[in-house]
Amino acid sequence: MSSGLRIPDDEKGHDLNMFCIPKHYEDDLERVFIPHGLIMDRTERLARDIMQDMGGHHIVALCVLKGGYKFFADLLDYIKALNQNRDTSVPLTVDFIRLKSYHSEESTNKVAVIGAEELCSLSKKNVLIVEDIVETGRTMMTLLPLLEAHNPKMVKVVSLLVKRTPKSLGYKPDYIGFEIPDKFLVGYALDYNEYFRDLSHICVLNENARQKYKA
Amino acid sequence: METCNKSEEKHESAAIVINDGWPGYSLDLFTYPQHYCDDLECVYIPHGVIQDRTERLARNIMDDIGDHHIVVLCVLKGGYKFCADLLDYIKVLSCTSNRSIPMRVDFIRLKSYRNDQSTEAMQIIGGEDLTILTGKNVLIVEAIVNTGKTMKTLLNHVEQFKPKMVKVASLLVKRAPSGGGYSPNYVGFEIPDCFVVGYALDYNEYFRDLNHICVISEKGKLKYRI
Repeated sequence: MSSGLRIPDDEKGHDLNMFCIPKHYEDDLERVFIPHGLIMDRTERLARDIMQDMGGHHIVALCVLKGGYKFFADLLDYIKALNQNRDTSVPLTVDFIRLKSYHSEESTNKVAVIGAEELCSLSKKNVLIVEDIVETGRTMMTLLPLLEAHNPKMVKVVSLLVKRTPKSLGYKPDYIGFEIPDKFLVGYALDYNEYFRDLSHICVLNENARQKYKA
Repeated sequence: METCNKSEEKHESAAIVINDGWPGYSLDLFTYPQHYCDDLECVYIPHGVIQDRTERLARNIMDDIGDHHIVVLCVLKGGYKFCADLLDYIKVLSCTSNRSIPMRVDFIRLKSYRNDQSTEAMQIIGGEDLTILTGKNVLIVEAIVNTGKTMKTLLNHVEQFKPKMVKVASLLVKRAPSGGGYSPNYVGFEIPDCFVVGYALDYNEYFRDLNHICVISEKGKLKYRI
C-alpha cells in the first residue's frame, strides 16, 4: 500500500494561465494545485491497485455522498476498463450513501447511513468505500463499524485526497491518491457551497472568493 | 513540480518551468507498460498533465493564428503524439466556435540522434515539395527543442516556400548550456538537460509506447543501446 503522491507543504502549484480554466473563475483562484490530468493518471493506478487486491470477488463500490461523486465516477471507469480487459472479471455493483449525523439522549454524536439498499446485502462481499477527501477521519471511523456489522468479506477505503492536518484522528485509508497540505482547495471533487463543480483542476481558492461564495 | 512562469502578457514562450532539482514521481504511483519496469528512473511529466497543458496551448494557438488557413507541419516521429493530441484540442475549439478554420497536416522527418547524443548530420525527409505552405499560416509541431539547431535548419528550409506566417509549437524545450538561443512560439514545458523518453520520445526507437514522459534508467540505456 503506497501512501499516495505526497504534495509538500511548500508546493506552489502552477500559474493559472498555464492551463484552461473556466473564465468565470479566473478572479477566484490563486493557483492550479493538482491538474485534472494528474488526478486521472493517479486514479488509473489506484484502480489497478484496487483490482489487484479486491478483484477476486464481487465488489460493491460505495460512494460517500456529501454532494460530490466525480472521483467515484472516474475511478469506476478505470476499474470497469480493467474488468472488461482481463481473462477473468468480477461483478461490480455500486451504491450511494449519505451520512446524516443526529443527536440522541446520549451525549455522543450518532451517524445514520441513509440512501443505500439494505446494508445486509454487503454480507460476504468485497466492499470498497470511495471518498473524495479525508481530513479528521471522523467520517470513516464512524462509518466503518456500521458496515463491518453486516459481515462483508472485506472492507477497503479509497480516498482521492488525505489532508495533513493537526485535527487528524490518525485514520489512514487503504488507498490514497494524494497526500496534501492544509490548504483551501476547490475543483474536481471539491465544491465550495455548490460552486466549482465545473472546474476540472484542483485549485487554491483566494481570499476574495471565500467571501464571495460564502453560504 | 513548480511553476515560476515568465510573467508576460502574450502567450508566446511562457511555459511550465521544471527546475533542475525536480526528482519526478515514483513509478509505483502510476501505470506504465510492464516491459519497461527496470528501464525507467521516474515519471517526469505524467500523461494527464501533458494533456492539460496541450489543451491550453491549443487555445493560445487558435487565439493567435486561427484566422486563416493553417498548415500543420508535424516533425516525425517524436512529434506525432503531441501533434495528434494538439490537433484534437484545436479541432474541439474549431467545432464549438463560430468560425471554423480549414486545417491540413503534413509530415516531415528529421534524423539526428544516435543513442542519446545529437549528431552533426541532419536529414529532412519528405519535406521537399512544400509548395502547399505558400501564403498560409504554418504551424510546425515538434516534440522537443534542444540546441535549436534542428529547428533553425527547418525554418530556413520552410521560409523558402514563402508562407504567410510561421509559428513553432514544441511540447518540451531543454535548458541546455549549448543553447542555440532558439525559443519556439509555444512551449509546453521547459525542462533541465536530462534525457527523457515516452509520449512518442524514443531512445533508439524504444519507449514510444509509453504514455508518460519519464527519465530512462542506466539499465535502460545499456539494454537498448545500439
